[in-house]
Amino acid sequence: MPRNSRQSPVASQQSNDGGPQTTDRRHPKANGGRWSAVGGQLRIGTLPLTLLALVAFALYAFLAWFPKPPPKPDETWVRIVETGAWRVGIDPSFPPFESDDAKGNLSGLDIALANEIAREWSSANATPVHVEYVYSGFDGLYDALKAKQFDAIISALPYDPKKTEDAAFSHAYFDGGPHIIVRASDATTKTYYDLMGKSIGVELGSTGDAFARRWQRRLKFDLRTFNTPADALRALRVGQVDAVFTDLVAFNDFFRADGGVKQVGAPLVSELVVIAVRKDAPTLLAHINAVIDAMKRDGRMEKLYAEWLVNQ
Amino acid sequence: MRILTQLRKFCQLPPLGTGDKWQVTRDVSRVTWHVARGLRLLALFALLYALAAPPPILVTLGPQQIVRTTNPKVGVHTRVTDEVEEWKIKKNFEMVREMGATWVVEYFPWEYIEFDENQFDWGHADLVVDHARRQGLRVIARLGFVPRWARPKESVTSFLDEVRYPAFAHFAAEFARHFAGRVEQIVIWNEPNLNFEWGYRGVDPAGYARMLQAVYPRVKQAEPSVQILAGALAPTLAPPGTVDAMNDLDYLQQMYDAGAKDYFDALAIHAYGWTAPADEAPSSKRVNFRRAELLREIMVKNGDADKRAFITEGGWNDHPRWTKAVHPAERITHTLRAYELCKSWAWIDACALWAFRYPFPAQTYLDYFSFVTPEFDPKPIYWEVQKYAAK
Repeated sequence: MPRNSRQSPVASQQSNDGGPQTTDRRHPKANGGRWSAVGGQLRIGTLPLTLLALVAFALYAFLAWFPKPPPKPDETWVRIVETGAWRVGIDPSFPPFESDDAKGNLSGLDIALANEIAREWSSANATPVHVEYVYSGFDGLYDALKAKQFDAIISALPYDPKKTEDAAFSHAYFDGGPHIIVRASDATTKTYYDLMGKSIGVELGSTGDAFARRWQRRLKFDLRTFNTPADALRALRVGQVDAVFTDLVAFNDFFRADGGVKQVGAPLVSELVVIAVRKDAPTLLAHINAVIDAMKRDGRMEKLYAEWLVNQ
Repeated sequence: MRILTQLRKFCQLPPLGTGDKWQVTRDVSRVTWHVARGLRLLALFALLYALAAPPPILVTLGPQQIVRTTNPKVGVHTRVTDEVEEWKIKKNFEMVREMGATWVVEYFPWEYIEFDENQFDWGHADLVVDHARRQGLRVIARLGFVPRWARPKESVTSFLDEVRYPAFAHFAAEFARHFAGRVEQIVIWNEPNLNFEWGYRGVDPAGYARMLQAVYPRVKQAEPSVQILAGALAPTLAPPGTVDAMNDLDYLQQMYDAGAKDYFDALAIHAYGWTAPADEAPSSKRVNFRRAELLREIMVKNGDADKRAFITEGGWNDHPRWTKAVHPAERITHTLRAYELCKSWAWIDACALWAFRYPFPAQTYLDYFSFVTPEFDPKPIYWEVQKYAAK
């Protein structure tokens, strides 16, 4: 009798072994050896796909294990070593990091840093390295770097992750973000959480102001705004506010003149200051990083801060 | 035939002519089973896709809002032209309303809407205008950006040859007709006294006047109630003969001399303060906020005392390095004072400062003009304007 048409043909086949079937379709090479059947057997196209996968794997393995050519030498670094000239782009309008006087003499933390890096390179190089400063407007620094008008940017440059397609950045040598400043006698404040419910002074509109407003609802800050960081720090010193959120340049400027305050804890917001080079200059970048790291280790960086941020 | 044979094998059907009298029935049964299995697999894939795919984002216009402000002239220039996601457009205007601003100026590039001649796509422009109005905002539309079909190859988007003025006038008229009752003011072109805004040709006040003469009657015919705003000049002290720019005061007078007077309803003014406080007295030798008063004087001198003016750009910048920037606290103080000055100027209807928020960082000093970050993080100036507008 005819089987129920809704019954599985596989099931029907199993119950129909005595039927008029002349081939054993459970064997993969049934029907003339074609790889064609279903139900646990190989399908049409399996063999070519397998071969394709094998070829792809073989190609991958060949490429992966093939000895790579040596990396292209860093032409920028090679030229610096050969000529002794390191071209640095700056916008000298940002004291205490870089500024020039009426005669065009440059000074500032960045200038001292660049000269120190060049001095250290000179000690290990046959040709002494000197810095050639190239002036550029701040907004044009990246374009000028890309156009090879200079080899590096040292200009109180904030780290910008969105620029990493065009430039490579050194390790940070300064953090320009706002810090917690308290009275020198304050022994309890370590982080901004310790300031819950207390009065905070900020420069109106500054990054410290934005940070304080963001946390105000949660930490119940009594926020007081001032026109300048110095006004806020003066209010701190005389007890009108419990802490001030401002950057270290403003803090050091005030500390030098008035004292009575101190910086505690980590930066509230990191605004890392870095050196930028072209992405095709990895050796130059490595040499810059080596000197920055060494300066941080042996105290030379602290001396630069003291010289340019405190003792001005 | 070979394909048929393979198909029979795939469906586990014995070769034809080898079965009994029920073979056809069994064949149909097997084919049906395979089809059913295929459909089941399709259904499974569809279910998996539906479960794996993110749900569609539902953004609605929401209920009609009103702006609560003590200074109804407060406004901002928004930048949602290049904003793709609708929720961001809505969020943008919600935040403008919550800041206490009534007016928004927005850019509607000609090419975005009339990409092919006489083919208008109002989709994105409708989104922008409808969301703004639903938040209770009044929209001033700035028109410009010449489409490829309306300019020579290799030319820039600010280049519009006079023979194409009718095409631009047609677009402006269609814009006015489409947004009748939704957009009340249209700004014709932007900063035509700058060479790069004039197709890198020598700036030409008479040429701009002819543009107004082409546009004004067409727009008025299409929608008589819409106001045509002219000017939107860049404040500049460029001396005579400068290639890049023409002094805005000279340019406005030359517009009048060329017969522009009867072809605009109000003046669009760009009032940047650069490093000067808002109250600094106006002077032809200074770029400051009150330079707007000098433009007003030229209007009055030319018999346009009855016409209104709209500040469609302006403000201060607090970039730490830009030479024309001020400190953040100064920017806030000057901005609030500027809004207050506008409130007292009877001839000004709106004071829309540059710029509320960019859809993405400009990576230049321009980022320091904004009130809100691209991530919708309000800057302190936002909260201060909100506080001011609530007083």
